[in-house]
Amino acid sequence: MSLGWRRQRERGHRLLLATIIRIALGLGRSAARVLLYPIVWYFVVFSGPSRRAARRYLARVLGRRPGPSDLIRHFYAFASIILDRVYLLTGQFHRFNITIEGLEVLAARLGEGQGCLLLGSHLGCFDVARACGRGYGIEVKLVMHEDNAPMIRAALARLNPAAVTDVIPSGTAEAMLRVQECLARGGVVGILGDRVVSPAHIVECPFLGRLAAFPSGTFRLASLLEVPVVLFFGLYLGGNRYAIHFELLAERIDRARPDRAGAARYWTERYAERLEHYCRMAPYNWFNFYDYWGEEDAVNTPGGATLARRPAERLPT
Amino acid sequence: MADVTPLESEVAGLIVETLDLKIEPAHIEPEAPLFGAGLGLDSIDALEMSLAISRAYGYRLRSDDPQITETFSSLRALCSAIARCRTK
Repeated sequence: MSLGWRRQRERGHRLLLATIIRIALGLGRSAARVLLYPIVWYFVVFSGPSRRAARRYLARVLGRRPGPSDLIRHFYAFASIILDRVYLLTGQFHRFNITIEGLEVLAARLGEGQGCLLLGSHLGCFDVARACGRGYGIEVKLVMHEDNAPMIRAALARLNPAAVTDVIPSGTAEAMLRVQECLARGGVVGILGDRVVSPAHIVECPFLGRLAAFPSGTFRLASLLEVPVVLFFGLYLGGNRYAIHFELLAERIDRARPDRAGAARYWTERYAERLEHYCRMAPYNWFNFYDYWGEEDAVNTPGGATLARRPAERLPT
Repeated sequence: MADVTPLESEVAGLIVETLDLKIEPAHIEPEAPLFGAGLGLDSIDALEMSLAISRAYGYRLRSDDPQITETFSSLRALCSAIARCRTK
């Protein structure tokens, strides 16, 4: 299992991100995109752990040894999306050419006043979903771990204060009550399902040729609240092009299923499969720059001994 | 364990059964934290627990309740909120 992202806490990325935001607001998108090149080069050269993680991922997804140009492309895509978040958060959708597939999956359910869980990932950009919500008057919230780059969030909050109220910090006991309340109002709650937050609810799934730990809590949540789970991928295709994909993963996650652990495994594996599919479609969109497969240190389970349960015993209902 | 009220032991039983915990209800310390370090429950457990409390006592916990953090802090705090707000 890899909780590596929490240890790394996008440490190195903070400076990169803050710099990009400053340039984006000061100079505009075209000039900022030119300036991203030296920034990305600097980052690739000096950010050892991120570079190693990227190389490992790229080797798996590309099926070959990645070269320096692959790394540059990967980090450039990351920097581009950070830059574009500045414009997406400030509502400048006209700058982008966005294609949307499968929106009817979501629209049909929301039209009936049904709340939906939107299950995304750190592949591509989640903020591009805002382009879809525009004009529909639908409440959209995003569950986020508050440790995740607080400085960037503060910077983005200055751009769009509403973006902060849209975030449900995952660390509080009442976080899922807020999710429940938003869904009950017919809203959409986004969750990024590719990073392990708690060692208590994980499923090891085949992912790009090796087992990786995925959180299964979303499926337990969906079964408790009896809401559909819709997959979301906002892929960056280069230039100003984005492709949004919605897909129905599950209309209902059945609580009554006799084999509860089996149900958790089943749905988490389906998610990992679709994530792999989209990774192959847009390989440079992967923004988990840490030891994703837990290959650097295999033993990595903090705090497990004090819990009232062993991780494997508590899988989603 | 002499100072545990009947409601506290009832709710402890409900928590253990709902969340399928591998401990005896009597082993839940009334003043120990339920979340994080103590019992090690998380926010989805909190939701599942609140759904069970709503069914059993007709008390729906809400995130905009200014007391919510206090309510979730221990079995004792939770039970005093239940005692105050229950409708059945």
